Amino acid sequence: MTELLIKNGFVFDPLSEINGEKMDIAIRDGKIVESVSDQKAKKIDATGLTVMPGAVDIHTHIAGGEVNTGRMIRPEDHVKDVVRKTAITRSGTGYSIPSTFVTGYRYSKMGYTTVMNPSMAPLGAKHTHEELNDIPLLDKATFPLLGDWWFVLENLQKGDLAGCAQHIAWMMETTKGYAIKIVNPGGLESWGFGRNVHSIDDVVPNFDITPREIVCGLAKVNKMLNLPHTIHLHTNNLGIPGNYLTTLETMKALESVPNDGKPICHITHVQFSSFAGENWGNMKSAADEISRYINNHNHMTFDMGQIIFTDTTTMTADGPFEFTLYQLSGHKWVNSDVETETSGGIIPMHYKRKSAVNATQWSIGLEIALLVKDPWKIFMTTDHPNAGPFFAYPKIIAWLTSKKARMATLAKCHKKAQKKSLLPSIDRELSLYELAIMTRAGQAKALGLTGKGHLGVGADADVAIYNINPETLDIAKKYKTARKAFDNAAYTIKDGKVVVKDGEVVQNVDGRTIWLDVKTREQLKVDEEMKRKFKEYWTVEYENYPVFDHYVKVPEAITVKADV
Amino acid sequence: MSVINAVTCPICGCLCDDIEVTVVNNEVVKVKNGCAVCEAKYMGYKSEHRIRQPLIRKDGKFVPVPMKEAIHKAAEILANANYPILYGWSSTNCEAQRVGVELAEEVGGVLDNTAVVCHGPSLMGTQEVGIPTSTLGQIRHRADLIIYWGCDPWSAHPRHLERYTSFTKGRFEDSEWKSYLNKVKAAAGRKKVLSATRVAPKQQRATVAEEVVFNKPPETLQKEGRKLIVIDVRKSMTAEVADYFIKVEPNKDYELMQAIRALVKEQELDVDQVAGVPVEYIKEVVDALVNCNFGIIFFGMGLTQSAGKFRNIEVAISLTRDLNLRTKFLIMPMRGHFNVSGANIVFAWQSGYAFGVDFSLGYPRYNPGETTSMDILLRGESDAALVIASDPGATFPKRAIQNLVKHPLIVIDPHMNPTAMLGDVVFPSAFVGIEVEGTAYRMDNVPLPLKKVVEPPEGILSDEVLLKNILEEVRSIKAQKAKKAEVV
Amino acid sequence: MIVLTPLKKFQFPVHAECINPDVFKGKSVKEIAALPVWEGNKKKKLSDIFKIEETPAETPDITINGDATEVRRVGQGMKNGEIVINGNAGMHLGEKMAGGKITVNGTANGWTGSSMKKGLIEIHGDAGDYLASPYRGSTAGMRGGTIIVDGNVGGDSGCYLRGGTIIVKGNAGPFLGFHISKGVIYVEKNAGGRLGASMTGGKIVVSGAVDEFMPTFTVDGIKKKVKIDDDFKAEGPFYVFLGDLAEHGTGKLFVSQPSNPQFSAIYDKYL
Repeated sequence: MTELLIKNGFVFDPLSEINGEKMDIAIRDGKIVESVSDQKAKKIDATGLTVMPGAVDIHTHIAGGEVNTGRMIRPEDHVKDVVRKTAITRSGTGYSIPSTFVTGYRYSKMGYTTVMNPSMAPLGAKHTHEELNDIPLLDKATFPLLGDWWFVLENLQKGDLAGCAQHIAWMMETTKGYAIKIVNPGGLESWGFGRNVHSIDDVVPNFDITPREIVCGLAKVNKMLNLPHTIHLHTNNLGIPGNYLTTLETMKALESVPNDGKPICHITHVQFSSFAGENWGNMKSAADEISRYINNHNHMTFDMGQIIFTDTTTMTADGPFEFTLYQLSGHKWVNSDVETETSGGIIPMHYKRKSAVNATQWSIGLEIALLVKDPWKIFMTTDHPNAGPFFAYPKIIAWLTSKKARMATLAKCHKKAQKKSLLPSIDRELSLYELAIMTRAGQAKALGLTGKGHLGVGADADVAIYNINPETLDIAKKYKTARKAFDNAAYTIKDGKVVVKDGEVVQNVDGRTIWLDVKTREQLKVDEEMKRKFKEYWTVEYENYPVFDHYVKVPEAITVKADV
Repeated sequence: MSVINAVTCPICGCLCDDIEVTVVNNEVVKVKNGCAVCEAKYMGYKSEHRIRQPLIRKDGKFVPVPMKEAIHKAAEILANANYPILYGWSSTNCEAQRVGVELAEEVGGVLDNTAVVCHGPSLMGTQEVGIPTSTLGQIRHRADLIIYWGCDPWSAHPRHLERYTSFTKGRFEDSEWKSYLNKVKAAAGRKKVLSATRVAPKQQRATVAEEVVFNKPPETLQKEGRKLIVIDVRKSMTAEVADYFIKVEPNKDYELMQAIRALVKEQELDVDQVAGVPVEYIKEVVDALVNCNFGIIFFGMGLTQSAGKFRNIEVAISLTRDLNLRTKFLIMPMRGHFNVSGANIVFAWQSGYAFGVDFSLGYPRYNPGETTSMDILLRGESDAALVIASDPGATFPKRAIQNLVKHPLIVIDPHMNPTAMLGDVVFPSAFVGIEVEGTAYRMDNVPLPLKKVVEPPEGILSDEVLLKNILEEVRSIKAQKAKKAEVV
Repeated sequence: MIVLTPLKKFQFPVHAECINPDVFKGKSVKEIAALPVWEGNKKKKLSDIFKIEETPAETPDITINGDATEVRRVGQGMKNGEIVINGNAGMHLGEKMAGGKITVNGTANGWTGSSMKKGLIEIHGDAGDYLASPYRGSTAGMRGGTIIVDGNVGGDSGCYLRGGTIIVKGNAGPFLGFHISKGVIYVEKNAGGRLGASMTGGKIVVSGAVDEFMPTFTVDGIKKKVKIDDDFKAEGPFYVFLGDLAEHGTGKLFVSQPSNPQFSAIYDKYL
C-alpha cells in the first residue's frame, strides 16, 4: 500500500466544482481517496501551488503508421531538436514528430497524464499499439478510422444501422480501439480513385451514399452501441476557404439525430473547418458564425486545432486535403491509402506570422475558443502535429488567459490578418478554473472517461501541480511566468507515483492503453460474415488481422453493453 | 499431426500470410500455398550449417562455451568499444529490433540495417520528396496500370503478381491471368511454327531479336482494364508476361524518368532518343500513364543500386507526384528481406531515424555518407561489431569486410554463414517465423504476426532473449566500472 | 592565434564544433583546453586530443597543423575570424558558416560549407561529396558566400544552391548543381552525369567535357563569354541550355562547345 498526500494546494477540480480551494488531496494505491494516514503517507507540500487533475488531450497524433512515416521523411526536422539519454530516460529526437519516448516525457513534463491518438487505420492497428507501448508515463487510447470503411458504407447504404453497429463493435474489439473516427466522410473512398466529395450531399462514387448519411448514420450507431465517447469527426472540405458553410450544414444535419440534450458528435480541430471567403486571397475567419451556432446548440463538442507559428508537419487520413496542400506548397508529400478502410497524407508546413492565411488561422482558433461561452464545449488542442507540436500548449494557455499575450503576438502578424482579426474586440481571459475545464475536465467528460479529469474519490490518481499561486500571480498580466509554470510542472503524478518533479522526469512508468470491449447480441454472426468476406476485401488473412492481447502492454478494457 | 493455417512466410517483403504448414513430431512435413522459395525454406531450414551452441574464438579456433560465458564476452566487447556497429536486423522480428535500439543506445553504437545495401536509397529519396503510396490491397482493387521498374517479382517476389497486382481480382479491376495464359499459348504456338520452318539463318534472327528492343508500344497499352509495363536493363521473367517491355540502357533510368516527367508536363525534347528508347515511343507510354485511372510503379534494386541511387528514387517519386496532377498514381519499393521494413519502422519510432542511426554522442544522429555501417567500415572507424540476422560477410565489399574483421565481431544467426565464420563470439539463434513468433512489416508497412510452428532445438534462444541478456550484462559491466571509478 | 596539433591519428570520428573563432574568442588557453569534444562515444576535453598553443600572430585565429580527416564540424556556424588547416579537413567543415574565412591546405571531406550563408572557403586540394549541399531532407542550400576548390569535387555538390558562388578548378562529380534555383557554379574541367538535373534557376558553367548530358535541357544559343563573378569571365564559346524542362526550370547551363564535339550532331540543328 502506497499513500501520498498533496497538502495545502489551491485545487482546481471543475468536475467536483472545486475552484481554487485550499485543500489536501489524498492518494492510495493509485486512486484518489477520502483520506490517508497523515503519519505514514509520503507528503508533497503544495502550499502556494496550483493543483489540477492530470491534463487530458482529446486529439493528438502520436503513434502509428502515418506518424512514423512523418518521422522517417523528416530528418531535417529531428536534427534541430535532439534528446540525450539519461540514467532514467531514453534518448530520441523531438520537434514536430517526436520519437515515442520523447513524446511521453514531454507530455508528462507539462502535467499531462492521458492522451488520445485519434487516427488509426485498422489494418495498421498493431503498429499503432506497438508505438503506444513505447510511449511512457501516459494513459492512451486510439480511434480506428471507420467513416469510409467499406462495411460501414455498405451497411449504411442499405439502411442497416444495426448491421453497421455490429460491424463497428467487431472493429473496436479487433483493433483495440476506443471511438469512431470519421475523416472527410465519403472523401477518402473517393480519393481511392483520386476524387473527393465537396458537399455533404455529394454521392460517393461506386457506393451510392452521401457524407450526410455517413455522419448521421454513425452518430446513431454510436448511440446504439453506448460508446463512452461520441463520434469524432473531421469535417468535409477541411482547410478550404468557405468551408464553414459545410461545417454548419454538418452540425445542422446532426440535429436530426436524437440527443437527449447530450453531445452526439465531437468536431475536431474546428479551426481548420471555420474558414470564410471564396479563395486564399480573401479567406477570412468564420469564428463568429461558428461560435454563434455552438452557443445556441448543445449536441456537439469541439477542440481547437490551434495554430502555432513554427515549422511542423501536417498528417491526416484526409488524403485529398493533403494533396491540396501538396499542390499549394510543392513540398514533400506522402500519400498512404489503406485498402477498404481509409487514406492518409503528410505535408511539412511552416506556419508563419507574416502569412496572411496562417495568421488568420491562428486568430480563428483563439477567436472560437474565446467566443464559445461554455468551456465544457471546446477543448485545447493543436491537433498535434498538424497545427503545431503539442509541447507548445503553454503558449496557447497564455493566449487564452491573457489578452496581453495574444495582442503581443497579433502585433507581429501580417497586417491584413491583424485588420480582420476579432481578437482586439474580445476581452475574455480564461480563469484557471475554465482552463482546467478546457485542458482536462471537459476533455475527460467528452471522452466518457469517468476516472479521468477530476480529483474526486475513486478517480485515477493522475495529478498535475504547477508553480502558480493564484493569490499572488495574475496570470493575465504575468503570462510569461505562467507559461513557464505550465511548461515545467512542479510535479506530475501518474497513478499515485511522482513521475515529474520541477519539469524533469524522475521516474519511468508505463501508462495503460484503454480500449472498448463492446458486447453485442450477434457477435458470432458478424464474425462468421467477416471470416467469409475477408479475402475479398483485404490482402491479409482474417486470422492475422486482429490486435492480439500481447500487442497491448498494459491493457485496460472497458466493457460496453450495446443495445444491438 | 497438426495443420497450422494463416502462417506468415518469413522470406521476402511480400509477407504472404496464407501459408498452411503441416507439422509432425516437431518437423514440418508439408507446406501449402507458398511459392517455391517458401516451401524450400520451411522444408529445408534445418540444414547441417545450423549453429548448435555458443562459440568463442580462442587462438584462432572456435571453442564451444556455456551461454553465460559467451554473453559476458559479447557484453564486454560492446561495453568497452569506442565506436561499435550493430548491423543486420532485417530477418528478425520487431521485438528483437526494439531491444536492438536500446542496446545500441546503451553502448553508444551505430545501429544499421540491411537497407544500407538495398532500399536505404529509397528511404533517402522519400526524405527529399515524400512518397505517394498505399497498401497492396489498394493496388489489387483499383490499379489498371502496373509498372515494375528495375525489379523482377516473378523471380524475387514470386507471388507478388498473383496476390497484389496483375493476376488478382479486385473490387474494381479484374485479374489478367486468362489473357496472360492466352498470350503464353500464342507465343508457344509462334515458337513452334518458327522452329518447324527454321527459315531464318542465324544472323538474320539476331537482327530480329535486337529490333524487339525497340518495339513500338502495342495498342493494348491504351486499352481498358489492367496493363502491365516492365522497365529493366534485361528482359526478365516478369517482362515476358508484360504488355510492354522497355529495355533501358544500364544506368540510364534517371535520364529516362526525367524525360518522361518533362513529357508529362507537355514539354518538348531536343533529343530523339533517351536511354536507348525512341522519344516517340516514350510519348506513347506517357499517354498510357496519364490516361490510366490508377497507376502504380513498383521499383527494386535495379533503381536503388544503379548509378544515381537515391536520386533515381527521388526522380521516380517526382514523376509519380507529377502524374497525380493528371490522374491517380502511386509508387512502392519492392522491399527484399521479410522484415527489413520493420527494422526501419522500429528504429524510426524509437529514434526518429530509419537506418544508419549513430548513438555515439548519446542521442540519435543520421546522415548516410557519414553514419551508416558501410560508410564507417569503408573508412575503418569502428572498433567492434555485432551482426545479427544478416550476412554482410557475403554482401559487403571487400574493404568493408576487412575492416569488420580487424576488430572483435559478435554474430547472432541460426546458421554458420560467411559472417559467422569470421566471428569472435557466435551465438546460435532460433529461426524467426518458424521457431519464434513475433511481428514483421510487409513491404507496404502493414504489420503481420509471425508464427511459431515448431520448437527450436534445445538450448537455442530467440534473438530477442539473447539481446536482452547481452543488454543486461552490458549494464552490469558498466555499473561495476562506474563503481570502481567512484572508489578510485 | 591558437595552434592545434592532433596528438595522434584519429581512428574514431571526432566531433569538435568548438573549434570556431567565435567560441575561442576571449578565452584563455586553459579555457580552450577544457572545451568539450567527442571522440567516438567518449566525451573528452579538447586538450585530451590536441596539443594547444598560443602564438602572438593576429591571423588566422586558429591553425590546425596535421591530419584532421576525422575531425568534424570545425568552424560550424562561424561568423567571424579565420581558420587555416594545414592538412586534411573532416566532414561538415564550415557547415552553416555565416562569415569569416576557412583555408584548407589539403583535402576537404563531405558536406564542406553545407548550407553556408556567407564567408569564404578555400580548399587547395580536393573536396568531398555534398560540397555546399544541405542536410538530408532539407532544401536549404547554400545561400551566399564563396567556395573555391583547386582540385576536384565529389558528387551531389552545390545541391539546392540559392545564392553565392562555387568555383571548381578541377573536375566535378555527378549531380553537380542538382535543383539549384540561384547562384553560380563554375567548373574549369569536366563535369559528371546528371549535370544541373532538376535545376529551376541559377547558372552552371562548364569549360570542360560533359558526359551523360540530361535530355531535359533545350538549347538556346551560343555565347562567347560568361560572367562568373565581378573579377572573372569564363572564355567560351559555350552552348547555352535552358532547363530543367522536367521542373519547368529557367536555369542556364553553359557548356563549352570545343570540349563537347558530341553535342554538334544533336543540338546544332536547332541553332
